[in-house]
Order: sequence, then structure tokens, then C-alpha cells
Amino acid sequence: MKKTTFVFTALLSLFAFINHSGGIYKTNTGNISFYSHTPVEDIRALNHKVKTAFSSESGQLQFSCLIKDFEFKKALMQEHFNESYMESTTFPKATFDGFIASVSAIDFNKDGTYTSEVKGKLTIKDVSKEVSTTATFVVSGGVVNAKATFNVNPYDYNVKIPKMIAPKISESIEITVDSDYTHKH
Amino acid sequence: MKKIAFLSISFIILGVLLFAYRMYNKPHTNVEQSNATEIISAEQLFDKFDKNEDSAMNQFSEQIIVVTGTLFAKDFSNELEPQMILKTDNESGFIRCGFKPSQLQNLEQLKDSSIIKVKGICKGINGDDELTLLEDKDVTLSSSIIIE
Repeated sequence: MKKTTFVFTALLSLFAFINHSGGIYKTNTGNISFYSHTPVEDIRALNHKVKTAFSSESGQLQFSCLIKDFEFKKALMQEHFNESYMESTTFPKATFDGFIASVSAIDFNKDGTYTSEVKGKLTIKDVSKEVSTTATFVVSGGVVNAKATFNVNPYDYNVKIPKMIAPKISESIEITVDSDYTHKH
Repeated sequence: MKKIAFLSISFIILGVLLFAYRMYNKPHTNVEQSNATEIISAEQLFDKFDKNEDSAMNQFSEQIIVVTGTLFAKDFSNELEPQMILKTDNESGFIRCGFKPSQLQNLEQLKDSSIIKVKGICKGINGDDELTLLEDKDVTLSSSIIIE
């Protein structure tokens, strides 16, 4: 009887450990910002409603954000961005589907700072391109903050910028993803 | 005669410059002072986006709307935009309302499961069937205010 209880308890503990150490980390309030720098003008926009999740087992990482949720300082810029360049009523979302290359090297149960390459498919305006960057994962008290920056060329994603406006918009737009993930299941 | 022409052209140029300046610096939509184009329940709003996103985008996107619904949860995890989540008929579907940080005090007083009326700018539906980790979907509102 004692042996059965011991085996049962051991199995339960193992299950609890596996269940806690693995699984899905998620947030619906992630941040994505983009920054365009030219000698003529600097443009920055922020989105605080990014839906993003990753699997601490497979390393799969995904995010989805609404283009119209990007907020600019100037209302006119926001209007032009949505209506003229991003056509955000027709192409409402930007998505990323990729993976954390060295997910097995990250101990999500131990506070610390880890880095890993993140690779995947970024889709904007129905155009998908492979992107990769180095991301920093900071594990602190069960919350995982992931931060990564990469650059994209708007012309690669079929963003049409009128010639008159072109000098104001960089061909290398810096995108920063900064999200606090919590363990879901 | 030359003087009149010069003055007229100067006034026109000045007018154009003033118009351009005002357009460039025009303020963001003031939700509080604007009239809502639609008053709709959280369930109906989500259903419209879920059934036909294109049609719902044309009807609601960038429109100021009033949404009535049951408060499912408060999400203050992003201090830059506190958010409230309203229930819908769909277990995996929600209305996610984003507020300015200045509204935080008003939001903290609200109790889960209470019926609330939110006015905000509808942005669209976030989530993607092809992204398996992001199974739930949110219709989002920005610059929201609680009106009841």
C-alpha cells in the first residue's frame, strides 16, 4: 500500500513539474512599436494590444496585431498610414509565425536573462517574408519579458508610398516587440 | 494694381499655409465629445465580425460606437493602455476595450460581471485561425471611455 502511495505521489509530482515547466506563455497586451528615421522627419507609432504566445516546449512563437491599433502622435499621420500606405481596412492584420531557436536553453522556471535567435514568417499586407533577429528573454517571478528588434523595408511588403512623401519615410523601419508573457497552460 | 495682385497672392499663400498647418496638427478624435454612430451589444458586435469581417470592417472600423456588455475581466498588465474585456456569446470571442492611462481610477472601481456601456473607436478583430497558439479573438476598441 505504501509503495503504491509513493509511486502515485511521485507520478503526481512529476506531472506537476512537467505541467509547470512546459506549456504556453501568452499575452493580449503586448507592445509593438515602429520607428522610421530620415533627415526630414522621425515617425513613431505604438500598439499596446498585441496578441502573442509561445510554447516553451516546441519554441513556436506567434503574434497578431491590428494595423489600425497603431497610435501616432499626429492624427493626420495615422490617417495616411492606414488609408494610403497600409490600406488597413483591406489588410487589417500583421502576423508573425516562427520559433525561438534555442528554447531548450531557456529555463522558464529560473529567474535570469537569456538570448536566442528568433526566426519566422512576418506577414504584412498579405506578403510573407522570412525575418530573423536576436531576442532577449528575461524571466522574473513567473513572467517572461521578451524583447526583439528587427528592420523591414516597407517596399518589400507592397507598401505604396507616394514619391513626394518617400523622402520622409525610411526604407529600413525599425520594429520593436516588447511583451510580458504569463504562463497559461 | 500690382500692389493688389501682390496682396491677393500673399493672402492666398498665407491661407494655404494656415490650412496645411492646421491639417498637419489636427487633433485625434475626441471620443467623449463625439456622437456614436452605432449602439450595439458586445454579443452582436463580435458576431458581426466573426461572421463577415470585411463587411464588419466597412461598417464599424474607425467609427465611434457604444458597446453594452458584461465585464469579463480587467486587464491592467500594460500600464500604457489599461484594458477591459467584455463577454460575448462565443467562448473564445471577446470585446477588448483600450483606455487612456488617465482612466485607470474609473476602471478600478468596476466589478467583474457588471453590465457596462463603453464608448470607443472600433478598430477591427484581432486573432487568426492559422495561428494555433492564438485561438481566441478580440474585437478591439481604442480611446474608450465608460459611459455607464
